[in-house]
Order: sequence, then structure tokens, then C-alpha cells
Amino acid sequence: MHESDIHDLSDDADYAVASKQGSSSMTRADDSKRSSYSDLEDAEIVYLKDNVTIHPTQYAAERISGRLKLLKQGSSLFMTWMPYTGQSSNARLSGRDKNLYTIRALSFSDIQSIRRHTPTIGWQYVIVVSSVCAGLAFPPLYFYSGGVREFLATIKQHVLIVRSSEDANLFLVNNFQDPLQKTLSSLALPGSLANRTPSSSSSPSYGNLEDKYTSADGHLSSMQQNNKQRQKSHDPARDISIQVLEKFSLVTRFARETTSQLFRESLVDGHGPNEKRRTNWASKEHQSQEMTSNDVEIVPKKVPVPSDPLEFDKLSLVWGQPRQRPLGLQEWSTFLDSEGRIVDPNALKKRIFYGGVEHNLRKKVWTFLLGYYSYDSTYAEREYAVLVKKSEYETIKNQWQSISPEQAKRFTKFKERKGLIDKDVVRTDRSLPFYEGDDNPNVRLMHDILLTYSFYNFDLGYCQGMSDLLSPILFIMKDESEAFWCFVSLLERLGPNFNRDQSGMHSQLFALSKLVELLDSPLHNYFKQNDCLNYFFCFRWILIQFKREFEYEKTLRLWEVLWTHYPSEHLHLYVCIAILKRHRAEIMGEQMDFDTLLKFINELSGQIDLDPILRDAEALCVCAGENGAASIPPGTPPSLPIQDSSIYYQDDSLL
Amino acid sequence: MSYAYLFKYIIIGDTGVGKSCLLLQFTDKRFQPVHDLTIGVEFGARMITIDNKPIKLQIWDTAGQESFRSITRSYYRGAAGALLVYDITRRETFNHLASWLEDARQHANANMTIMLIGNKCDLAHRRAVSTEEGEQFAKEHGLIFMEASAKTAQNVEEAFINTAGTIYKKIQDGVFDSFGIKVGYGGIPGPSGGRDGSTSQAGGCCS
Ligand SMILES: Nc1nc2c(ncn2[C@@H]2O[C@H](COP(=O)(O)OP(=O)(O)OP(=O)(O)O)[C@@H](O)[C@H]2O)c(=O)[nH]1
Ligand SMILES: [Mg+2]
Repeated sequence: MHESDIHDLSDDADYAVASKQGSSSMTRADDSKRSSYSDLEDAEIVYLKDNVTIHPTQYAAERISGRLKLLKQGSSLFMTWMPYTGQSSNARLSGRDKNLYTIRALSFSDIQSIRRHTPTIGWQYVIVVSSVCAGLAFPPLYFYSGGVREFLATIKQHVLIVRSSEDANLFLVNNFQDPLQKTLSSLALPGSLANRTPSSSSSPSYGNLEDKYTSADGHLSSMQQNNKQRQKSHDPARDISIQVLEKFSLVTRFARETTSQLFRESLVDGHGPNEKRRTNWASKEHQSQEMTSNDVEIVPKKVPVPSDPLEFDKLSLVWGQPRQRPLGLQEWSTFLDSEGRIVDPNALKKRIFYGGVEHNLRKKVWTFLLGYYSYDSTYAEREYAVLVKKSEYETIKNQWQSISPEQAKRFTKFKERKGLIDKDVVRTDRSLPFYEGDDNPNVRLMHDILLTYSFYNFDLGYCQGMSDLLSPILFIMKDESEAFWCFVSLLERLGPNFNRDQSGMHSQLFALSKLVELLDSPLHNYFKQNDCLNYFFCFRWILIQFKREFEYEKTLRLWEVLWTHYPSEHLHLYVCIAILKRHRAEIMGEQMDFDTLLKFINELSGQIDLDPILRDAEALCVCAGENGAASIPPGTPPSLPIQDSSIYYQDDSLL
Repeated sequence: MSYAYLFKYIIIGDTGVGKSCLLLQFTDKRFQPVHDLTIGVEFGARMITIDNKPIKLQIWDTAGQESFRSITRSYYRGAAGALLVYDITRRETFNHLASWLEDARQHANANMTIMLIGNKCDLAHRRAVSTEEGEQFAKEHGLIFMEASAKTAQNVEEAFINTAGTIYKKIQDGVFDSFGIKVGYGGIPGPSGGRDGSTSQAGGCCS
């Protein structure tokens, strides 16, 4: 075991390089660096910025602020970042954490690239990628008081720095080779992905991730239909590696094994390669001896389970993008032209994806997200549509309202349907003020809308779970006809969840299992060994879009985020994985069987923290990239059905 | 809390017959008519005492809707007891009993104890299924039978506890394997308690 590990690493050219350069700037606290640091005391400060902050965890509230400096000594330029002492946003951030992230003296000869990120909302930040230690990235430095431009300009005065021709936000330091090639080779991807590393001739794909979403969104369905061709011509390693490095900005000391983890390193044989590698990397990269030994000791003992990437859960990743505040009325108006058209639907979706919508704006925005109004409709067109749709609704509603008791006697299917709906509307969210109390008019509305829907879409009819989907829509829309049509739009996509043969649910559960296999093979193997591959424990999550898992307000938030289809139409599957991954240590560590797992998952209801899960889901979705999309069969809900005919076909012997 | 045995129960039957209400009445001793309909499964638990032994009941309250059956079938595995519920005011829920029973026979352990419950017996004025019919059906299929009301709590305790008593007796008699029963920290009470592999001797269904 040990031997093979050494062999494993000696194969890795960068490992060899890195071990020779043991005193690189990454090992910031070792002796040689300390001396070079003290040497720097007489260096000239050419740039100084306060309130440069890192977020060591996925929680935006947890941050470490500090001072960033550029120091000139002779012809060399150094970067330092020192956290402020005695001031931490959160007690959970120990002094050790601060120490860990401190950049004492990073020479620019050891920097490969700097990428500038400019989120539409929030602070600019940069990610510095080291050239010495296998292309590892430092955590993002958020410039809370601005100054990124000045930072880059100052660097430019002192070292050779060029803007990548592929990406205006990427600045290459001392490097005139193909940057992509270098990054990739130094990543030394394990396993099959490594073998598929593109040849040097392929052009770098350094595109901004956010742009990628947009295009992915636009072409999703056609892309899915062309899965086969795409898989042949497209090499995922390229995109993924860059994304992993930069999107996640892995904290230095964890970067290596996490990257491996994300690339599905063969971990099945737990105590072997993975841990060993971890140990090696720990000793190589860790800044202090104390930390190193801690990690080496703790890791193998704490988790007796095979394939211990359990440690993954505790990684201090900056997952996904920070959540933003919800879209408000004022900002909303900036998305509209003078006649009420949404000028840039993708920008709107993206905005909502990252922050949701303020409550009082939901009624307006949901109609677009759900597809009831088209984005390019004008105020006048919508006003008119409301009237047309209202009378259309009344017409359908009248179809069942006009059924006389005599007629109903001979219309068993109608009676059964009505009976079911009668029973279910009084068992849907009745503890909410909006639906509580006897003879609540909103319960009546829900009944009428559901029964009308079962006539509008007679083949699908009524099925349990629909009232859960309707409840928030009615709560937001307040208006009967508008709620109905929004519900219709939603069921265009989610209708197959209620197919009597469960085909829509099964295709999603199947896609989920494929995605877990892709993103977390040890967990997948665990489910396989424990007869849990049917993923029935996620049934309720998917059927009603996590409606029972979050408090009402959070459900509204989650739904509007999902409905943007921004990084993927199937973000909800990545949400499932994000939740599962948060609990993988418990699931695998406690060796849960199907029953225990089902109960465990059920009891997570009300315990899930939405924002971090959304960030994880986004990260997982980005990480899975096109491989992820390829794991999801075309037509899997909530994708629009491929062919329209007979998708709601129901076995007539049933309802 | 320590217990001698843990029994897995499953509550099955058509939607709206009152499965969730029965569970809530048993675990919380209250009738809550405005709870949500069940999607998938929900869980409840309560300690009871049989023969001075603490026994923990872990109860699976399943969704009754027909189209969820393919999912709910995966819940039977390992259940020691089942409460098969119909609504005495709705005949169709009684008519569907045979298909529920078939599911249970197919997907549960053959030695699972099944208690047939005619629920909502507080609604006598709307009765659509007579007590005799219930009794008859139970007799034909080897089930224990009771009419109950989740609303008034009538016979709710009895239904759950008598089922446990029957299971317990099967353990004592050695006719049960370890399916759906876990021996807790309290130790093994009987000489044949929790014995493995004795199912085959029992054969068929039990009464
Ligand atoms: N009068 C009366 N009503 C009851 C009784 N038990 C349940 N109900 C009513 O019957 C309705 C359905 O009860 P639930 O317990 O939700 O039914 P369920 O079997 O769990 O239904 P699903 O979860 O859909 O499978 C509720 O609205 C209760 O108010 C009872 O003993 N007496
Ligand atoms: Mg129920």
C-alpha cells in the first residue's frame, strides 16, 4: 500500500518539482521563508489596501479581513496579506484559521496568474494561482474597499504581466506559454480524466463561468438531444479543471485532494491512496508542523469507514457564489423597457438565481419565471392577456360546475376526483394563516383550481402532491385565474411527476443516481452496497420540489431560484446531492441501511439551511458541467417534454 | 431509552382513511384534523410495555394514494406488524382491502402480524360497512380486527398494543425470525427471543 502510493506520487512530475522546492512560498511558515520574510522588512511598500477579506467557509458571514500589500525588494515583487488581529466576524474562526490563510511573502515569480472577478452585485475579488505548487489557487481575496484595478496596475509596473488573449479578466504572470496547458499538466488529474487531458493544440477555454451558464441555459434542450455527439467531441477535463481551481478557489492546503475528490479519484479502497496522498500533501504544503501532524493523525482515525472523503464535508471551500439580497422593486424596474418588456431575460434570471425576489414583488416576477407571461410581452399585452385568460379559465371551470347531481351519479371518475380533491385541500398547509380555519375561502379556491385543472388536463387529472405545488402559487398570486394559469405553466414541466406509472419520478431518481455516481462515487458505491440505489428516500424532495423540507418562506425562495433554470434546468437534482453530501459522513459513518436512511432523510425536514445548500448545488452543477448534463436523459422533468402526444397517458383501469 | 425489543409497524390503507390520525392519536394522544396529507412516509415512535418488557414501536405511516404504491411497497421490508385501515363510512376503502393485503403478502415477511382496523367508528350515522363485514373479512384472511376512532381515541391504544402483544407471543413461541424486531439493550427476554431462521417452521399466516 505504502509503496504503491510513493510510486503513485513519484509518477507525478509536479510532485517531484514541488518536493525539491520544499521551501516555496506555499510553505509559508518554514524556516527559509521566515528568513525571507524578515528580509522583506526593509522592502518598499508599493501598494497597500485595507479590508481585503477572505471567506474561509461557505458562510458569507464568516470572513477574515486583513491588509494586502505589494512589496518591492530589489527587482522582486512580493505580495503579503495579513489578517487583522483580534477581530473576527465569527467565533468559529480560530486564530489557527487566520494563521493558515496568512500570506507572508508570496514572490511574484511563484505566481502563475491572477484572475479578476467582478460579480454584478457584491465585491470584486481576485484569485491568485500559484505556479509552484501544482497550480493551486489561494482563496479569493475580496476587495471590500475597492482597489483591484490599482492592485493590477501596480503589479504591472513591476513584473511582466499580460492579459490573456482568451479572457480579459485573466492576467498571466511571468508566463508566455499556453497557460492552459501548464495549468492542466500541473493539475495532474487522476484517473481517466487525466488521460483525457487535451493536447496542447486545443484552445484554452477560460470563459467566465457566468457566461457559460447563460449559453448553457439557452441551448440546453438542443444540447441534451445531441448528447452523443457532444460527448465525443468535447473534452470535459479542460473546463472542469479550470472551474474547480478558480470557481471553488480551494483553500490551499486542501486543494489537491479536493480536486481529486471532485474528479472521482478511485477512492473505493479507502485507507489507501486517498489518505496517503492527503498525508503527503499535508506535509508538503502545510505551513506549520503542528498542523501537519494534527491532520495526519486525525484523518485516518476519525473515520473508520472505507473511502474516507468524509473529510470533504469539512473542507473550507468557498462554494458557489455568495447569495445576494433579493431583487427589489426598484431594481426590477431597471430590467424593463418603457413598454414593460424584459430587456435581458438572462440577466434577470441570473439576478434572481443569486438572490431571489422580495416578497411583494413575487406576484409580478413569478408570472415570467413560470412562463405564464413571455419576457418580451408589453404591459398592454399582459393586461389584455389577463382578461382573455380569465374568461378562458371561467369556461373550463364551468365544465365541471355545470355538472348536475343527476349527471354526477353517472360520472364516477368525476365524483372520485372531486372526492379526492375535497379531502386533500383540507389537508394542505392548513396551519398557515392564509389557509387556516373552517370555511376558508382560499381552501375553496384551491379546490376549484385543482378541479378545473383536472378538466383542463383530463388525462393527468388530479394526483396527491399537486395541492402542495398549488398552495404557494395561490398564496402569491391571490387571484384565482392567474394562480390557475401559473399552476398550468408549472405543470407543463412538473406534470410528469404525477404520471400514474411514476415515469417522471423514476427518470429523475435515475438521473440523480447517475449524478451522484459522477460527483461522489464513494457515496454512490455506499448506496449500491446498501440497496439504496432507487433513491426512494429523495422521492418527496423531488415530487414537490422540497416543499415539505423547508419552512414556507424558504420554499418560495428555493422555487424562484429553481425556476430561473439558470445554471441548469435540473438544479433541483444538484440540490439533492448537496444535501446528501452535507450528511454523507453520518450516512456512511453510521452505516445507515435503507430504513434508517429513509427515516434520517425524513427527519432532515426543517433542518436544512437553504443558502449554503444552494451554493453547494451551484458548485456541484458547475463541477459536473457537461458530464452532468449528459447524465440526465433528455426529457427528464422539469425539462419540457420531448414529444407532446400521450405523455399524460393514464391507465384507464385506475382513476 | 433502553428497550427489550423494537418492532417496526407499518400503517397501510387507502388515502384519507385516517392512518396519520391514528398514528398521531397513538403517539401524541390528540386528534389533529388539519395535518397534511402524507407523501411517501412519515414516522412515529412510542414505548409500550408488554409482559413488563419495554418495547419500542417504530411506526411507518405510509401514503395511501394508489399511484404511490410502487414507492410504498419498498417500506414493507422488515415490518413485524401492520395496521391495515379502512374507513367505515366509505365502502370503496373496504373494497380495496384485498389489494392491500396482496401487497403486504408479497412484500412483507410472511409472519407479519396484521391488524385490520375499521376507522372513524365515531361516525356511526354515516356507516357504510357493517362491523360484521369487517369481522368476516378478518376471519377469512387471518387478521385481528377492531373498529376504532382516531377522533375519540376509541380502541386506538388497543389496536397498537394488541398487535404488539401478538408479535411478542410469536417471539415467545419461537415462530418469528428476527425480521422487524431488534433486540434492544434490555436483553433477550425469552429463550427463543429474536431467534433467527424460525420462520419456516411457522409456515403460512398466523392468527
Ligand atoms: N370523524 C373522524 N374523522 C377522522 C378520523 N380519522 C381521520 N379522520 C379525518 O379523515 C381525514 C383523513 O385522515 P388522515 O389521517 O389524513 O388520512 P390518511 O389515511 O393518513 O391519508 P393519506 O395520508 O392521504 O394516506 C382527516 O381530515 C381527518 O380529519 C376519525 O376517527 N373520525
Ligand atoms: Mg396520512
